[in-house]
Amino acid sequence: MNQNQNSLTTAPTAEARDLCLTYGKQPVLKNLDWKLMPGQVVGLLGRNGAGKTTLLETLLGLREPQSGLVQLLGAPVSALSDDNRARIGYVPQRSDLFEGFTAQQLLDYFKSFYPRWNTEKVQSLMSRWGVPADQPIALMSGGQQQRLSIIRALAHEPDLLVLDEPVASLDPAGRRDFLRELVDQVLDRGTTVVLSTHILSDLERVAFNVAFMRDGRITVQAPLDELLDQTRQVSGSSAQVNLYAERSHAQILRIRSLSAGRSVAMLKISKPQVQDTAGLSIERTNLEELFLELA
Amino acid sequence: MPFESIFSINTGSTEPIYRQLIEQVRRRIASGQLSAGQEIPSVRELAQALAVHPMTVSKAFGLLEAEGLLERRRGLSMVVAAQHTRAKSSASRVELLRPTLEKAAAEVQQLELSKAQAIQLFQTILNEGEKP
Repeated sequence: MNQNQNSLTTAPTAEARDLCLTYGKQPVLKNLDWKLMPGQVVGLLGRNGAGKTTLLETLLGLREPQSGLVQLLGAPVSALSDDNRARIGYVPQRSDLFEGFTAQQLLDYFKSFYPRWNTEKVQSLMSRWGVPADQPIALMSGGQQQRLSIIRALAHEPDLLVLDEPVASLDPAGRRDFLRELVDQVLDRGTTVVLSTHILSDLERVAFNVAFMRDGRITVQAPLDELLDQTRQVSGSSAQVNLYAERSHAQILRIRSLSAGRSVAMLKISKPQVQDTAGLSIERTNLEELFLELA
Repeated sequence: MPFESIFSINTGSTEPIYRQLIEQVRRRIASGQLSAGQEIPSVRELAQALAVHPMTVSKAFGLLEAEGLLERRRGLSMVVAAQHTRAKSSASRVELLRPTLEKAAAEVQQLELSKAQAIQLFQTILNEGEKP
């Protein structure tokens, strides 16, 4: 199993530097920097319309930014070799399967593009996930199409797996089975995974790291354990909140002014110290609360 | 005992999953349900069964080992450490409840409830747990 730690000697699997992308006048990515290290499973969190899909597409070279740089598997994404392309698996938000094909025809077609193809895994997933081999894709349910899309992305055993809302139309049992498959990928191959989903309970299980996207940037990226252990939601008078942040050497993840001179802050405090907290409310947070404040 | 009944995960909690796993092992050892020499599932088995990232499981096991509750046998499997031969006294077991109850006590104050009301609720909950 690959280690999840950042290391000076390891090159990132994917890296975005200073990405800017605008739709018309609407900026979506604003000087965005991001790194995915080998073996990491990163959950990408952001509100609807935050630009998560745009970011993932840009990372994969499917969209060209106005400025900035994407390095994928050690080379600029614009110069991605066929060999490296074959090391990437992608499940897009909207299924782009050829609807006139059957699942079997589709998989046979894709198989021809990849030097590696795990037929055994494909067969086993097809039967476990109830994807009919001989039915036209157009006649399959949304959930079946989504499963097929996931199977297609796993079949060539990618080193980098990009999943954009992969489970939106799966039922809870299907989602759990999918999560197990992801865990297997991590255990067996040390696959780097980036997963965007709004189903926080799934993310919490498999994403060792989470990245929050807001205002066109990755504002916070950290191991989820660390965020839950160290983050406190602190509210009170603005002066007091600021003083508390300063005295506890907190990293201010987000601070918002409320009415009447009050503020609420998400503070990451590595060594909480006992101090005068009269008048302040200090609460631990869960992933949902982190999402509400940071995304 | 099957490990599915030892380990369970509560998502949406303020307590990270690795800490939940640690607490569950601590409680089972304290109560004597897990005792010296008993084998703990491997990181792989547990990560697959619970569908959680293997690093989360290995982090929990590592901390339990550092705490002296688990030890690594030759090879990779982990077992309950030798000194944990029987259940702890009820006095030391009840101490394990302290953090949870302290948290509940703080919430009682925030909600401005009386002690009697809180204790009554706890009693009701305990009684509910006894029903088959």
